[in-house]
Formats: sequence, C-alpha cells, structure tokens
Amino acid sequence: MSTTVTRTGLAAAAALSLALLAGCSSPADSDTAAAGSCTPAKGKVTLQYWNTVPGMDKVVALWNKNNPDIQVQTKNISNDQYGTLGNALKAGKAPDLAQVGYDQLPSLRTQNAFVDASACSTAAAAKSQFVPWTWSQTSFGGTGVFAFPQDTGPMALYVRSDIFKKYDLPIPKTWDEYAAAAQKLHKANPNISITFFDPNNAEWFNGLLWQNGAEMYSYSGDKWHVTVESDQSKQVAEYWQKLISDKLVRTDLANGSTQMYAAYQKDQVASYVGASWGYSMFRDNLPQQAGKWTIVPMPTWGADGASGDWGGSTVAFMKGNSHLYESVKFNTWLNTDPKALALENKLGGLYPAANAGLRLPALSQGVAYYNNEKIFDVFADSSKKINTSFAWGPTQKTANLALQDAMAKAAAGDGTLTDALSTSQAAALKSMKDQAIPATAGK
Amino acid sequence: MTDISTRVPHVMSSPGGRRRRNGGRPRVGTVAAFLTPFFLPFLLFYVAPVGYALWQSLRVVRRTGGQYGTSYTAFGGFEQYAQVFQNTEFWASIGRIGLFGIVQVPVMLFIALIMALLLDTPLLRLKAFFRITAFMPYAVPGVIAAIMWSYLYSPQLSPVVDLLEGIGWQPDFLGPGAVLWSAANVSTWLWTGYNMLIMYAALQAIPQELYEAAKLDGAGQWTIAWRIKVPIIAPAIVLTTVFSIIGTLQLYAEPAVLRQISSNISSTFTPNMLAYAVASGNNYQQAAAISVVIAVITFVLSFGFMRLTSKKAGL
Repeated sequence: MSTTVTRTGLAAAAALSLALLAGCSSPADSDTAAAGSCTPAKGKVTLQYWNTVPGMDKVVALWNKNNPDIQVQTKNISNDQYGTLGNALKAGKAPDLAQVGYDQLPSLRTQNAFVDASACSTAAAAKSQFVPWTWSQTSFGGTGVFAFPQDTGPMALYVRSDIFKKYDLPIPKTWDEYAAAAQKLHKANPNISITFFDPNNAEWFNGLLWQNGAEMYSYSGDKWHVTVESDQSKQVAEYWQKLISDKLVRTDLANGSTQMYAAYQKDQVASYVGASWGYSMFRDNLPQQAGKWTIVPMPTWGADGASGDWGGSTVAFMKGNSHLYESVKFNTWLNTDPKALALENKLGGLYPAANAGLRLPALSQGVAYYNNEKIFDVFADSSKKINTSFAWGPTQKTANLALQDAMAKAAAGDGTLTDALSTSQAAALKSMKDQAIPATAGK
Repeated sequence: MTDISTRVPHVMSSPGGRRRRNGGRPRVGTVAAFLTPFFLPFLLFYVAPVGYALWQSLRVVRRTGGQYGTSYTAFGGFEQYAQVFQNTEFWASIGRIGLFGIVQVPVMLFIALIMALLLDTPLLRLKAFFRITAFMPYAVPGVIAAIMWSYLYSPQLSPVVDLLEGIGWQPDFLGPGAVLWSAANVSTWLWTGYNMLIMYAALQAIPQELYEAAKLDGAGQWTIAWRIKVPIIAPAIVLTTVFSIIGTLQLYAEPAVLRQISSNISSTFTPNMLAYAVASGNNYQQAAAISVVIAVITFVLSFGFMRLTSKKAGL
C-alpha cells in the first residue's frame, strides 16, 4: 500500500463497492455513506461548524476576517455534544463540520454520519501534517478522510514533588516502581494515597490499556474482532486490582470533581495519572500548590516506554456537507495553521494534534505553576510514543458504560477489574449484534 | 361527568353523580371549537411520541455490507421486548426502585400528612410562614437539590459528615448499602411539601360545622385529626400515593446526579437510567421498548392501587 497507484486503486474500489451497496440496498429509511465531490462553489459559501471548545468563536472570527468568500458560523454544543449531533443527523440537518472525540468516530461512522472528504486531494495530502496515530484514527486506518485531528491527550504522571521528597520516594519510571512507592508511602503515612482509581472513568482506564499495547478492536475478514479482554489489558487490570485490594489507592474520587480537588488540597493524594489537558486543571483549581507539582513521563510497562492517550477530538466532515472543497480548506487552516493553533491553545487549552502545533512557541516555554518547567516537552515526547494502531469500537459508549459499572463493583469489593474486562467484552459483542454489526470475540 | 363542585372532597369520585340535564344538544362546531385547544397539543405532544415509541420498539436494526455497512431498520416483532424481559439489569433496576418506593413513599406521605395536620390545627401560629417553608424545596429543581445534597453527603466536603465524625460516627452516605437511601432522602426532601400542600388543601375544604359537632360530642384535637380529618381527605392521600408511585418509577435526576460522586450508582440504577444508557449507545429501538414496559408497569401499578383503595375505602 505504499504507492500512490495502489492507494488510488483502493479508493476507487471502495467508492465502487459503496456505490454498489447504495444501489442494491435502498429501504425507505436507510442511510448511505456518500463519498463527496470536491468542486469549489461559485460565489460566497457559509459553513456551519459545531464544537465544544471555549473561545472557538474568536478563532473562527479570525478566519472569517481573512476569507470573505468562505464564512463560517459556529455553535457551541458542549452541553450535550453527541445528543445534539445525533438529533441533527436524524433530522437530516447536521452541520458541515462538527467536533467529535476519537472514541466516538467509529460509532458515528456506523450511523453513517460522515462524508468522505478524500475526493479532495488536499484532504488526503494533509496526512503528513498530523501526529500519525491521530490520522489513522480519523481515516480508520484506510484511505478515507472523515475528519481532521484537532487535539490530543497524551498521558503523563503529575507528581507532588514536596510529598515525594518528604517521604523519600524516588520518581517512578516503571509501574513496578510506582507500586513500590505506593507501598512505601502507605507505610509511612496511611492517610496519604499515591493516587486514586476512578471507577467511573472508562476513558481514563482505556488510556492505561492503550499504553500497554492492548488493542481492543480490529477489523478483518468482514468482521470486527473484539479483544477488550486480552493479556495486555488483563495485566493492567490485575495491577490496579492489587493496588485497590491492598488499599494503596483511593477509589472514592471522581476525576475533576470538587471532591478530588478537596483531597489534593488536603495533601491526601501524592500523584495524578493524567493527560496533557489536565495541566490547567491543577493550575486553576489549586493555586496554593503552585511550585509543588512536577510533570514526568508516565511509568512504563516494558523497555519500549510506550505512552497512552486520554481524550482529544477531531473536526469531522458531516453527512450532507455540500461544500467539501471549502470545508477542507477551513478545516486544514483550523487544525494546522500556527496562528489558529496558538489561539486554540490559549483560549481553549487544546493540545494540538498537528506536528506544527507541537512546535508552538507557547508549548516550548516553561509554565510558572510548574516551577517554570517545560512540561509540554514531556507531553510532546509522550505524544510520539503512543501506539498508532489502537482503534476504538463501533459501540464504544456501551462498552465503556459496562466497563464502568463493573469497575465500580470491583472497587466496592464485588468482583475484580479482570471481571470488568469480560463484562465489557460481552457488552461490546452484544451491542454490536443489536446493531447488526458483524463481530466476533478474539483475534 | 361526576359533579366536582361539592366542597366535601370525598364526593369527588362517588359513582353516579348527578348528571347535568341536557336541554338541547350543543352544535358540533361549538364542541370542536372548545375541544381543539386540548386535543391538538394532546395529539402532537402526547399521542404522537407514544405512538412513535411503540413503533420504534417493534423495529430492529439491519445492515448491509461489512464493517461500516449501511444500516436500516426493519420490523422485528416483539424481539426488543423479549430482550427487555431477559435483561437482568432491567429487573435489577425494577427491584431497586421497588424497594425504594416501598420505603420512601410511605415515609414521605406520613411526614406530609403529619405536617398537613399540624398546619391545620388552630394551635399553630405563623401558618403562612410554615406553609411556604415546607413547600419551598418543591421550587428547587431536582437536579439542583441533588447537587446540594451531594455536597452534604460527600465525606470530603460535608460539614454534616465532619460533625458526625466528631462524635465518633463514620457515616458513608455514598456507600453500596446507603446510597439508595441517600437518594430517597433527596426525593423525600423535594416532594414532602408538595404532597403536604395537596393534603392541606383537602383539609381546608372540610366544613367547620363537622368540627363543631365533634367538639360538642367531646372530641379533642387528636380524635378530630384521626377520626374525622384523615378519613375525609383519604382521596387526597390516594392521589398523592399515585403521584408518588409514578414519580418513583420515573426516578432519574437524583441518582443520576449522585452517580457523579458515587461509583455505587451504576448506569442502570433505575429503569429510566437504563433506557437512557441504552439510547446513548445508539440502540433507540431497545430504549423505546424499555420505555414502553416502564409505562405499562406504571399504568398497572397506579391504576391498580387506585382500584384497590377505592374498593376498600368505598370511595
């Protein structure tokens, strides 16, 4: 698949099979994943762009000022992002472009929510401008272009250096060292925990699984292969289960909750396994702890030092988009232009998915709250070490809910995290069956 | 139509009330003009959504093509219902709110009744003040109330928990065994004043002569309350019970908010939460079937209760 010829051939074959599919199945209420056409419009165009990023209206205002012929209207849908999008799609009134999280891309694609922008040569050409794993998630590993990556959440370890110093804990480089530190800290002072395990946060746990090379979904031979329950994911589950059983981590805090900040405020928790976007959470919610935090690479499993990702979004080309040419133009600017990226980072706290974004001046400077350390170097490094072949499932939300419910039970002493993986695996398979998506367990 | 103009409430549902004698039939046009403002929104916002849910619940998703094939829905008969009835999570959630209702509804209505009776005694001063204070929680939206209470339950933030720990008690309001009752407490706090007001309104409608007669017969306040007031306002109590049964089956806001701070509330904690979780996973047909089953259970329970009580009490 390395030559352009093969790629074009594949695209043509894909387009043809789509056309055949569209031709042979036309029940009244069916949808088709149409490949768009890429012809510039004559005259002025107005695009609709729905998003959840604070300050995005100002970024768009900058575009509108310089592009009188392609005007963009924004709408903030952070209140109920996927509900709003889902309703709009059902009503046939989806915007031209919309923000969609990586983990929701496959499920929306299964709902035929996107249009393939690869008809525009500029869209496929944008590939080289993005961090590789983000691109493979938006193209589903194939040649289609359904969205452009916008931001990511490479993970790292946030450390309260003063507490670590006080109890003479070395900065852990591996998860084993982290567990040892947890034990040592607990022995020295049972009132402090090394961190907390949030049983209601499947997205976070998925990031941990991702780091260990657990690939939960793959597609081959006309079927999805569900491997939520794999050796790699079991290793992560058993690790955290032991920390929970030994009462070395707390399980009563939810990420980003007032209760969580209160616990950190009271010096009851000594570290935080988080993502790039978390840096501003501590800065803004615990101003008194300025200078006490440091950010280091996430502890690793093996020698390869792989990292994980938690969160991040894309800007997708939505079904019904009739101005693909202009949409690609705007979407490219929005997610690769240094001026736009700098503004998004400043106003919305986005950690860019574009290579150019990782070189933003703002991201190479020290951050006052973190002792003027260049914390974004850690995230940039983490971003490069994320497994590019990780893929989300087409019923990710259901799998996540099942995982959370079972993780909560495990945290309350009813079952284990390993059981939670089987529960999630079963829920994933059942929900795919309900949606008539061909799937099987295992590779 | 039964005559509802009589001031004594228990006549309200008496069968065979006086019928208005029809001198001449009103013209069809007049009837239509008066009924349209009711029936139009009724059809649009009630019958249509229910019909749509029923239709959805009989459908299943089919797909042509592979990985991201084209989806469409087809008639699936009772397939979705079969799945609902086989779903252990569904029955667990029904059992949970069954327990919730059996405890919470009587407790709440008993408190509401006591408060209504106290408000109605001639002894109590500052009636207007107490009436409005007791009713106040009802003005607070359920979500806000749940957020407020979640602060009081949270061990990290709550002054109540701090206070109790001070006297050597370690309460865990959000623990696996307690969280259902913590949610029940929020509902009780929210709805007691509302129910009290319905009962109080019924008490206000009792003619004073009855009390005078009772007093002449030597009845004290206590006897008047239990022997006269409570039996007369029985229809109001039945009404509040029916409202509460319906409310219990539709429980959503309180546990959904508490879920954010307690992992002991699952995404399938109540039937409505289960329906929401299923719908958010794009399985609208299954969610519709769950909703229809909840509606039927609600209908059977509330009407069953009304029939049972009206037979027993001869109302």
